Amino acid sequence: MEKLLTARLHAVKVRPYLADALFALHVVEDRSVPTMAVDAHWRCYVSPGFVDRTPVEELAGVWVHEVSHLLRDHHGRSERYAREHREHGPGERLRRNIAADFEINDDIYGDGLSLPAGAALPSLLRLPDGLLMEEYLRTASMSGVAADLAWLDCGSGADGQDRPWELGPGGAYGLSRQQRDAVRLRVAEGIRGRPGDAPEGWRRWADEAFHPSQPWRQLLGAAVRSAASASGAGEDHSYRRPSRRSAGVPGVLLPSLRRTPPRVCVVIDTSGSVSDAELGSALLEVAAISRAVGGRRDLVSVISCDAAAGVAVPLCRAESIELVGGGGTDLRSGFARALRSRPRPDVIVALTDGQTPWPSVQPPCRTVVGLLPRAARAVDEENSDYTPDTPPPWARVVTIG
Amino acid sequence: MFSSAPQSTSTPAAGTPGTGTRLALADDLLALLRTTTTEPRPDEKLEALTLAVAADLPVLLWGEPGIGKTAALTQLATSLDLPLTTVIASVHEPSDFSGLPVVGDDPAVRGVPMAPPQWAVELVRAGRGLLFLDELSTATPAVQAALLRVVLERRVGALQLPSRVRIVAAANPRASAADGWELSPPLANRFVHLHWAHDREVVVRGLGGVWPRAELPRLVSERLPEAVAFARRAVCGFLEARPTLIHRLPGTETRRGGAWPSPRSWEAALTLLAFGRAASVSREVLALLVRGAVGDGPGLELLAHLERMDLPDPESLLAEPVSAELPKRGDLRQAALEAVVAAVGARPERERWEAGWAVLVRALETGAPDLLVAPATALAALRRDDWEVPEAVERLAGVVGLARRADRSVERATAAAEAGRATGTCR
Repeated sequence: MEKLLTARLHAVKVRPYLADALFALHVVEDRSVPTMAVDAHWRCYVSPGFVDRTPVEELAGVWVHEVSHLLRDHHGRSERYAREHREHGPGERLRRNIAADFEINDDIYGDGLSLPAGAALPSLLRLPDGLLMEEYLRTASMSGVAADLAWLDCGSGADGQDRPWELGPGGAYGLSRQQRDAVRLRVAEGIRGRPGDAPEGWRRWADEAFHPSQPWRQLLGAAVRSAASASGAGEDHSYRRPSRRSAGVPGVLLPSLRRTPPRVCVVIDTSGSVSDAELGSALLEVAAISRAVGGRRDLVSVISCDAAAGVAVPLCRAESIELVGGGGTDLRSGFARALRSRPRPDVIVALTDGQTPWPSVQPPCRTVVGLLPRAARAVDEENSDYTPDTPPPWARVVTIG
Repeated sequence: MFSSAPQSTSTPAAGTPGTGTRLALADDLLALLRTTTTEPRPDEKLEALTLAVAADLPVLLWGEPGIGKTAALTQLATSLDLPLTTVIASVHEPSDFSGLPVVGDDPAVRGVPMAPPQWAVELVRAGRGLLFLDELSTATPAVQAALLRVVLERRVGALQLPSRVRIVAAANPRASAADGWELSPPLANRFVHLHWAHDREVVVRGLGGVWPRAELPRLVSERLPEAVAFARRAVCGFLEARPTLIHRLPGTETRRGGAWPSPRSWEAALTLLAFGRAASVSREVLALLVRGAVGDGPGLELLAHLERMDLPDPESLLAEPVSAELPKRGDLRQAALEAVVAAVGARPERERWEAGWAVLVRALETGAPDLLVAPATALAALRRDDWEVPEAVERLAGVVGLARRADRSVERATAAAEAGRATGTCR
C-alpha cells in the first residue's frame, strides 16, 4: 500500500493536472485482479503481488494509465461500441481494452513517467498514433497483439464489461455519475486554464470533454434546413387564401396549407487544394437536404467558380443537378451570379476552403458557408504568411471534415 | 334461433351468438394482455420532470417517437392528480391554438374575437390539468409559433389558461432526417430541456408484464425556507465567482437549440434548485434539471460549486482540529486541507498555524497519506522564524518519507528516459 501511494504521489508530481482525478480514486486490494483495474465508479482494484514485483516508477505510469481510462469515459464509449456493433464476446472485450490502451498510451508516457513493461502501443500493429479508441477498433483486428497481451485487463472502466471482483454500483465509495462528471470537469478546466503544461492529447480531450463535436453532415443539414424553411419557403399555413373548409363555417377565417418550395443555390469555390471526395460529399449532402425540404429536383442549382469546375461538372451530371455554368473567378462573382438568376434563390450555400475574398455586403438571402479543410500540400507560393479572412458574421458557418 | 355452428357462406348479422362469443374471446385475450403489475424503480428522469412541472416552468422533452413519453406523462398526471389532455401538434392548424378569427357584424368597431377550441375551454372550466403538447417539431412553422405562445404565455386565443394548468411540450431531436428541427436560441432559453431515452431493461421487463413505478418526489413543508436560502446562496455565490457565465449566447452550431445561460435561465435554475432541495432529491436529479435549464457546461460548474459548498468550513476545522470530520473522497479531502492552509495563510498566527498541523495529523489518522504532501509543504512554508516546530510535525515524518521516495522515483524515471535517448533505444 505504501509503495502504491508513493507511486501515486510520483504521478501527481509529474502530471499535476491529473491530481484531482488520481486522488478521487478509491483503492481496493483484491488478489483476484491480474494487475490493476478500474471500474466505472472510480474504484481502483489492485493486486498486492503486482505491486510487490513492479518498480515504483512503473506503478506511477499504471496509475496515470488507469485514471486516463476513466477520464476519457472508455467505459461508456465501449458499451456504446459493443451495442452498436453487437460485439459481446470475451475476445471482443479484449479488443476494446487494447484499443482503449492504444488511445491512452501513445502520448501519456515520457516526461518523468516511464512506460510500464508490456504496455500496448499502436506501433505494435504499425498503427498511427493519435487516433481514438473507436478508430483503432474500426481499422485493426488486433489479432496480432491479443496473443501476447491476453493477461491484460484494465477492468470494466476500460471496456464496459463487469468483472467478478467489482463491487458494482451499490458498493461503498463509488462515485455517482454526476460526481464523475464533476471530477472530469475539474480536470478539464485545470488543463484549459494552463494549457502549457499538458500534452496535445490531453488538451484536445479537455476541449471536447463536455462539448462533443457533432458530425458535419448534421450541422450542415440543420443549417441548410433552417435557412430553407424560414418564413416564405417550405410548407406552411397562410391566410393569403382561405381554406377550403371555410365554406362549412361561415364567418370564420381558416388558413390554408401552402407549399412554396425553397430554391437553393450552391456556389462552389475552391482553389484546387480541397480533396474531391469531401467536396463531393458536401455537395451531395446539400442537394439531398434541399430535395427533402422542397421535394423537387429542379430547385437546386450549382454555380462553380473556375478552379472547381473539374469536380463540380461530373458530379452534377451524375446526380442530374442543374449546373449554371461558371461563376467567374472567385466567390464574390459567384454570389453575384447566383443573385442574378431568376427566380432568386432563397438560400445560398457556399462550399469553399476559405482561401477567397468574401462579399463585402450581406446578400439579400440566407447564407450558409461550408468550410472545407485544405489539403496539407497546398501552400500559397507567393506569400507564405498570407492568412485568409474569416467568414463574415452574417453567414452560418459549418466546418466540414 | 339459428344453429350456433358458424356458416361460412353467409355473413352473420350483428348480435348473433357466433360473433358475440368471438369478440368476447378477443376481449378476454386483450384483457389478459393488459394485466400488468408494477414494481418500484427509481427513475431520475421522471423525478426531474415532476419537479420541473411542479415548479411551473415550461418543459421541453426531447426524445425519439415511440419511447414512452406519453406513458411517463400519464404516470406524472396520476401522481400529481391532474387530468391529462394530450394535443398532437402535427395534426392541427395554427388557428386551433391561436384561436379562430370569427368575423362578426362590425369588426372595425368591435374587433375580431379569436374563438378558442373546445379542449381549451374545458381546461379552463376544470381549472386545473396537465396539458401535453406532443410532436411539436413536426408541425408547420405557423403551428409551432402558435403553440409556443400557448406554452410561454399560457394563452389560447382570447382565453387565459388558469395557473393550475401545467404545460409540457415534446419534440423530436434534430437528427439527420429531413424534417429535423431546431429551436431559435431565444425560445430555447425559455424552456427546461429534458432528454428522454428508453432504458433497455425497463422496456424488456415492461413487455414481460412488469412496468416500473417511480416514487415521485414530494415537497416537505418544513424545508421550504431553508431550500430557498440554499438555492439563492448557491447560485449567487457561483455567479459572483464566474460572472462571465451570467449571459452567454450559444456560439457554435453544435449547441444551437439547446439550453444556454442567461439571467432568465439562471432564475429557472435557482427555482429548480430550491424545489429539488425542498423535495430532497438526489444530486443526479438536480444535475438533470440544472443542465436542462442553463446548459451542460454552466450546469456542471454550478454542481461542482455545490460540492465545494458541502466541504467543511476551514475555520471550524481549525477551531476543532482533533475531532475534525474530513470528507472521505481523496480529491475533496485534499481540497478541504488546501482550504485550511489557505485560511492559515490569510491570517498567519502561531495558534492557527499549529491548529493547521493538528488538522493534518487528524487527516493522516483517517485516510491516505499521499495527499497530505502538498498541503503539508505549503503549511511548512508559512512558518515564521520565531515559531517553534510543533510536536505534531513528528507524526508526519512518514509523509515526508513518502514524498522523498516519490521524488527519487521521478528522478529514476527521468534518468532512465535520458539514458534511453542517449543509447537510442526505444521501447
